[in-house]
Formats: sequence, structure tokens, C-alpha cells
Amino acid sequence: MPMRAARVGRVGVIGHPVAKTAVVAKAVTPGPAPVAKTAVVAAAVTPGRRRRRI
Amino acid sequence: MTLTPLDELGPVDYIVVEFPAGASNFTGEMAKELVALVDAGTIRVIDVLILTKDENGSVDAMELSDIEELGELQRIETELAELLAADDVAHLAAAMDPGSTAGVLIWENLWAAPFASAARRSGGQLIADGRIPIQAIIASIEADDDTDDETVGA
Repeated sequence: MPMRAARVGRVGVIGHPVAKTAVVAKAVTPGPAPVAKTAVVAAAVTPGRRRRRI
Repeated sequence: MTLTPLDELGPVDYIVVEFPAGASNFTGEMAKELVALVDAGTIRVIDVLILTKDENGSVDAMELSDIEELGELQRIETELAELLAADDVAHLAAAMDPGSTAGVLIWENLWAAPFASAARRSGGQLIADGRIPIQAIIASIEADDDTDDETVGA
């Protein structure tokens, strides 16, 4: 399907080829069930929970 | 279309969502959630493209308007700004696997615009931004847990 004329010959906004992010590959590798991971993340971002150790 | 003064523009983001061959299950749920975000004033959709990459790596770009039954997305389609250029299509498709289909979504974060504008008026300049993947948070927590386990076992 040809690209719409308005999109041809313009300067783009992305600037460089996009690479598939490594985290996507990690997300589909075997491991704990997504539901369990969701619960862990939810606990980590709970207001008031502070875990910084500098 | 309403023109937004540049100083009041919110941050603009994009995502490329890939659907591997045979893995797509379009029920209208995505469109419904996207329209809800627009109707709530959370985001403004700037551009949408549907890309397909064949097994030879050839990429085809389809406009939202090329879809016959847009349903709720019709309202969004009429407000698109067509920001992406042909060069962008090639750049975005570089992340796709052969044989896959991907949706490209460009949007303005309307919710962030007032804060961003206030920061600019205060003399601030954006020098870094990004997204923390959920997987990174999980990895950080798991590393903490491992450290705690080692401490207990010591």
C-alpha cells in the first residue's frame, strides 16, 4: 500500500532505527507467573514504601 | 482541530505494539480503552499507523482510515495530525520481527502539559526522561530479596 503523499519527503521525528527492547525478550522468558509479578510490583510502588539504600 | 500553543504542548510519546503472526486477538478492547483515555482528557492521539512486515522484511504501512469498520476509533481518526514521515516508518519497523503486524501510536500526554509548561516558565529545561520497564522493577526487587536472603543466611 503506498504511503500517503503527506508523509513522503518530510523530515522524520524518530531519527534512528528502533531496536526491540531487551526487556520484551525477558518478559516472555520462563519465570514466575505474570500475576505473581504484578503483585510484587504493586507492593514495590505502594505509597510510603521506601527501599532506597544509598 | 484545535491549535495548541507550543509552550502548552505536553510531552509526546510513542509505542510500537507488535502482534506476532497468529497471536492477535482484536476484540475492540484496545480501541475502547484508547477512546476512554482521549475522552478523559488524559491524552491526545497525534498519529496512528498499522505496519506489517512480511517474511522478506518488506514493510507495508496502513493508515487508520484504511480500515473499513473503525467503530469508536472514527472520532480519533478525524483528529490525527499525521506526524510520522515515511522515514519514520522504516525506523519504527526495524524493531519488528518478520511476519508480524504492529500498531504505532503517537500521543501527547495532556495530563503532563500544565506541569511541563510551568517548569519551562520557571526556567527549567528537560535534560533527561524515560520509562522504567516493569521488568526492571521486578529485577530490582528480586535482587533486594536475594540480598536479604544472603544476609539472613549469613
